[in-house]
Amino acid sequence: MKHALEVCGLKKSYGSRRVLKGLDFQVRPGEIFALLGANGAGKTTALECIEGLRSYDAGHITRHGSTGVQLQSSSLPDHIRPMEAVRLFAAWNRTGPSPSILEALGIPALGKKQYRHLSTGQKRRLHLALALTGDPDILFLDEPTAGLDVEGRANLHELIRRLKRGGKTILLASHDMNEVEALCDRMAILKDGILAFTGTAADLSEKLGRRYNISIRTSAGTEQLETSDILETLTAVLERCRKTGTVISDLHVDRGSLEQHFMQIAKEETNS
Amino acid sequence: MKAFFYGVSLQWKLDIRSKTLLITCYLVPLLFFALMGGIFTSVNPEARRTLIPSMTVFGVSMGAFIGLPPSLVEIYGGSIRKVYRAGGVPDWLGLALSGTSAFLHLFLMSLLLYAAAPLAFDASLPEHPAFYFAGLALFILVSLAAAAVIGLAVKDPAKTPMFSILVFLPSIMLSGIMFPPELLPGGLQTAGNIFPAAWGYRLLAESGSPAANLRALLVILAASASVCLFLVRRVGK
Repeated sequence: MKHALEVCGLKKSYGSRRVLKGLDFQVRPGEIFALLGANGAGKTTALECIEGLRSYDAGHITRHGSTGVQLQSSSLPDHIRPMEAVRLFAAWNRTGPSPSILEALGIPALGKKQYRHLSTGQKRRLHLALALTGDPDILFLDEPTAGLDVEGRANLHELIRRLKRGGKTILLASHDMNEVEALCDRMAILKDGILAFTGTAADLSEKLGRRYNISIRTSAGTEQLETSDILETLTAVLERCRKTGTVISDLHVDRGSLEQHFMQIAKEETNS
Repeated sequence: MKAFFYGVSLQWKLDIRSKTLLITCYLVPLLFFALMGGIFTSVNPEARRTLIPSMTVFGVSMGAFIGLPPSLVEIYGGSIRKVYRAGGVPDWLGLALSGTSAFLHLFLMSLLLYAAAPLAFDASLPEHPAFYFAGLALFILVSLAAAAVIGLAVKDPAKTPMFSILVFLPSIMLSGIMFPPELLPGGLQTAGNIFPAAWGYRLLAESGSPAANLRALLVILAASASVCLFLVRRVGK
């Protein structure tokens, strides 16, 4: 199968600091592929090299199709109106985003509001619309939901799914595990300039084992627990509280942060 | 070409909305003209002969050196250029659009001065209007090119006004519009010749050799344009 995007041996240094130490991965046509990593892991550098916005020291990048880019740190002139920006980009690309996409992103509804008066979510939607100028085959999204509220994230996720259904290949950089699990077909985890993992969310769970964090607040204080067997641990904790008559004021369970997954991956690598 | 013209019309609108350019290209030069025009002509009636060129040189220098650099720093110093580039918009477009729009605003301001000076202060019109307007267009172009160097070289918006003033003030003080440059020490006379204002004033006031004035402006234009080209390529890397 011909890949939409192929990255082979990508290396990049800033002075003596080696940011990318040889990345290799492929993105299949029509899939959403996530590039995950903690802040400073090199996601944005990798993405900008792949997008063609940054030079790189070694390696080879092949893009099969036209590309659209939504940058993590984006800005436009303060006084430009959303539809003016769309028309400017469309003029240089000979075609703009489809009216239905613009409607879905709510761009025409922003009317005469100037860029400086747009909310973070509205700016994100506008930059996504600009990335779709020229109807690209491959879409690069760098932290597309950063700074958005819950509703804004949900709306943007739905739109990204819609783009995938429309046949777009999407490479998405994120540090949000939940976002990646909700949206992506496959992922690559970037750590210290190399890919520590490439595969599906299921592959990752299989590799690491499911980890859960339990936070329990009682009259005696707050207790933090980490477990792979949620049922057994929760049962034990609740039984203990019942026996001692401890009142539970708050109980919170989550699936662990990406950082913990990295630690797990790092531990596995050290052990192996 | 259609895309470029859309960009120019858009930039024209953005400049009007931003107000900064309106202040530097219209408000301050026209207020300066209203105030200094009266003083110049009452202190020295002979100033009526050179009032239009001197006020025009002040206005163009002000609009170019104080007005243009902040727009360029906004585009090239921040992430706007990256967004443009990611969207298939060429790196040079920000400079071309800001420069073209500023050119049109400065030319319009100069026309207002040209029309108002005879009515307000009984100023003499240039003897050769066609030569005057051709020279004016060249002078605006040279001033904008020199100002663009500041806008492209300085990345920090907080430092831009300082560099702009550092060029604008000596440019005006040594140009000959306030007092004849012959009154200055030799070193300062020479220093004044580095700036486009001195040559622009001589060209518009039809003082000295037109060929020498034109040659000097073209040299400054070529040097500034080369530096701008280099800087645009550098920020594109």
